[in-house]
Amino acid sequence: MSALSRDAIRTMMAEVLQAQGKSMPESDSANLEEIGFRSLDFSELALRVEDEIGDELNFDAPELRQIATISDVLDFLEQLQAA
Amino acid sequence: MSDKTEPIGPATVVVVSGGSRGLGLAIVEDILAQGAKVAAFARTVTPELEAVAAAHPDRVVAASVDVTDVKAVNAFLKEAESRLGPIDALVNNAAMGQDSLHVHTSPEHIARIIETNLTAPLLLARAVLRRIMAKGNRGRIVMVTSVCAQRGYSGLVAYSATKGGLDSAMRTLAREMHGRVLVNSVAPGFFASEMSSVLGQTQLDTITRRTPSNRLVEPENIVPVVNTLLFQDTNINGQVITVDGGNSI
Repeated sequence: MSALSRDAIRTMMAEVLQAQGKSMPESDSANLEEIGFRSLDFSELALRVEDEIGDELNFDAPELRQIATISDVLDFLEQLQAA
Repeated sequence: MSDKTEPIGPATVVVVSGGSRGLGLAIVEDILAQGAKVAAFARTVTPELEAVAAAHPDRVVAASVDVTDVKAVNAFLKEAESRLGPIDALVNNAAMGQDSLHVHTSPEHIARIIETNLTAPLLLARAVLRRIMAKGNRGRIVMVTSVCAQRGYSGLVAYSATKGGLDSAMRTLAREMHGRVLVNSVAPGFFASEMSSVLGQTQLDTITRRTPSNRLVEPENIVPVVNTLLFQDTNINGQVITVDGGNSI
């Protein structure tokens, strides 16, 4: 299956947040800590993306620790799909 | 007449896996300072280990051997014994780290961690024990494990499992050897150098503040403990000695 688009990943991220009663900000520069998107939420999002593309996106924790904004999340998941 | 078993003597020829840098190299240097001989191997022999071997040609055998290559490890042990004499001790130090959540660690990576950190040390211990037993000797084994075997730390699931496995094997080996071989583990906390590569200064300061001794662990803290288990008559057997400044208590 082909890679998911940035928009599709953004929609999935909004679903992860909505499931916890949180909302997805308009701006991709929003800080993850401020919107309550934690590292395990990123994990859940990555696994949802994996389910869609039918492939595993494995990565080390130091890469995850550098993610601070929505834009970082989308960038990283795009990079993982392209790797 | 007393049937008291005589204490096991100090180690004379020690195999050290992962002996080319960091803690492994510090252990090699300490064993030499103690007057014993060393057979050290690592995947890559560093210039530091080369220099140590060159300075003590009659007391050091060093080679580039992958700990997971059973055939190469056995050939190295044979070569070491022919040059240094009967092996009577092992420091099982070689290991690979991990820093990834379990759900995002590939099955291949998990298998590699288990092979390097658990299967290979078990096979190395087996090989050394067979040589000790076949010659009617006695000896000592030290497993370098980790505080991760006792406490949960995120990003270290497979690593922790291997270190816990090694601690369990250590206890069982100590029982199996009936005092003919003393088998123990030294469990370091996180080394300051390792942590500083992945954590920021603020996080390091927080961890240090939460450590009762107010100091993170350094290889120099582990070396004297390994020395004691290799050379002193302590009757310590089947134990895990944790060295982490009290962080895990």
